[in-house]
Amino acid sequence: MTEPAIHLHELCKTYRVPERESGMGAALKSLFHRRMQDIKAVDRLTFDLSPGEIVGFLGPNGAGKTTTLKMLSGLLHPTGGEGTVLGSIPWKRERPFLRQITLVMGQRNQLVWDIPAADSFELNRVIYRLSSTDFRHTLNELTELLDLGPLLKKPVRNLSLGERMKCEIAAALLHRPQVVFLDEPTIGLDVTMQRRIRAFIAEYNRRSGATVLLTSHYMADVAALCKRVIVIHHGRLLFDGDLSALVQQFTAHKTIVVQLEDCHADLHTYGEVINCEDGRFTLRVPKAQTAHVTERLLADLPVIDLLVEDPPIEEVIDQVFTQEAA
Amino acid sequence: MNTLRLIYVFFRVSVLNETAYRVNFFVQLFQSILELGTALAGLAVIFSYTQSLGGWRPNEMLALVGVYFLVGGIISLVIQPGMAALIDSVRDGTLDFTLTKPEDAQLLVSIQRVAIWSLLDLLMGTGVLITALVLLGKSVGLGEAVQFIGMLLAGAVIVYSFWLILASLSFWFVRVENLLEIFQSMYQAGRWPISLYPGWLRFALTFIVPVAFATTVPAEALTGRLGGPTLLEAIGLAILLFAIARVIWRLGLRRYSGASA
Repeated sequence: MTEPAIHLHELCKTYRVPERESGMGAALKSLFHRRMQDIKAVDRLTFDLSPGEIVGFLGPNGAGKTTTLKMLSGLLHPTGGEGTVLGSIPWKRERPFLRQITLVMGQRNQLVWDIPAADSFELNRVIYRLSSTDFRHTLNELTELLDLGPLLKKPVRNLSLGERMKCEIAAALLHRPQVVFLDEPTIGLDVTMQRRIRAFIAEYNRRSGATVLLTSHYMADVAALCKRVIVIHHGRLLFDGDLSALVQQFTAHKTIVVQLEDCHADLHTYGEVINCEDGRFTLRVPKAQTAHVTERLLADLPVIDLLVEDPPIEEVIDQVFTQEAA
Repeated sequence: MNTLRLIYVFFRVSVLNETAYRVNFFVQLFQSILELGTALAGLAVIFSYTQSLGGWRPNEMLALVGVYFLVGGIISLVIQPGMAALIDSVRDGTLDFTLTKPEDAQLLVSIQRVAIWSLLDLLMGTGVLITALVLLGKSVGLGEAVQFIGMLLAGAVIVYSFWLILASLSFWFVRVENLLEIFQSMYQAGRWPISLYPGWLRFALTFIVPVAFATTVPAEALTGRLGGPTLLEAIGLAILLFAIARVIWRLGLRRYSGASA
């Protein structure tokens, strides 16, 4: 049994925030007296990540994902529980630990705005005390994988959002971290660029064996990269396991797509008709009845093609959160 | 060793960054000349009425103006830009990137931005200082030179620590730019010898906003009027303030990361 790369046990983070009513009177009152309110951002979170794993960290806005990532990268102190990353306690912020991790935030940038990325990389080279040879080698590899060649010499402000993100990611990986925290790395990017970044993350993980914890709102990112997902909501763990098991556990329905010769058939006796276009019908049926309905469809109707699918992952996730709320 | 390399690389990046906006160079040039011209004209007016101001003769006052510009140059070259950037990064959260780096965060924050065009103030200040010394016909002895450099360093450390304390307040109160503005205005008082001011203001300019140690004291060292007690006071205050600034910075970081919450 190898030691986990990331280990959390009952990790908690409670924020104390000032409570404030709207209006002028309340604003004046709050100058002198503030009522504080406790917000549990992360509530007794427990999970382990093995070295080399890529895990998707999911949850709606405000679920506590970023707070957790910040604790694991040493930026925040927890209010309770334990956590280790590569055997170190992150919030002690010891240098050997910091040298082995990286944090990429899709919504913020660390590159200096007015100068070419190559010059910002140089800053990181000195900060991480990388030898010229190692630095060259890594930079060449990243340049090749991310196709950075023409971008490195342009001022960062002249790059497109996607180009900038590629440079941000490269800057964050120059020191070859063993643990990579990615917070919404593909946010705001177009589909092609998302796919590009995704492919890169997979390749980087394969080559370096780094452990990756990834949050994303794009389920395509998660489906493409992560076998395992951890779902949290209101700071609490909802699910930890295979992505396919998540689908199994949280969906009571399957989707059957049938292609018929007859465009005007009435299929409502077989299941809920979600969509019908040129004889292509999409039905929603309870999972337990899938086999039975399929059998009936094939027996009763002139079927050209038939496909049984799990609902799209977005729908599943949505269901997970609404179930929790109910 | 690595610290020096870091400073060099950050300086280089700042130079690259600023040369992207060449117009700033001319703006700064204009501003520096204007400011220096005003200061010199003011002296000329005053010394057309009197031969000595609070015991300072014209050329000694000129030396003080030189020091004032020299130290002002240091402040706007490294101290002010870095601290302003710190306040911004606390507000927009980019301080996170600094804190995940395996290097002392205070160092990284302090050298992160250099406004190179402020070198102009520094150069002009040095020029005025040298002119004043030539006019004084004074050969500066080794002892005075060492004292002067020592006091200049102590003054710089004092001002830096003071700014770091103010900027660290942004960990508690998000908007503190105005405090920095207040310091800039108070600093202008350092253009005149501190002995000219009434007692309460002299006290304030020495111990509350330590402008005196940044300008008057180095100028005193150069003109040979510095007593041993002031020298020790300056060094003592530099060490003390630096230590206090370090403590407040660390408390601020702890608050930022919620260690105390």
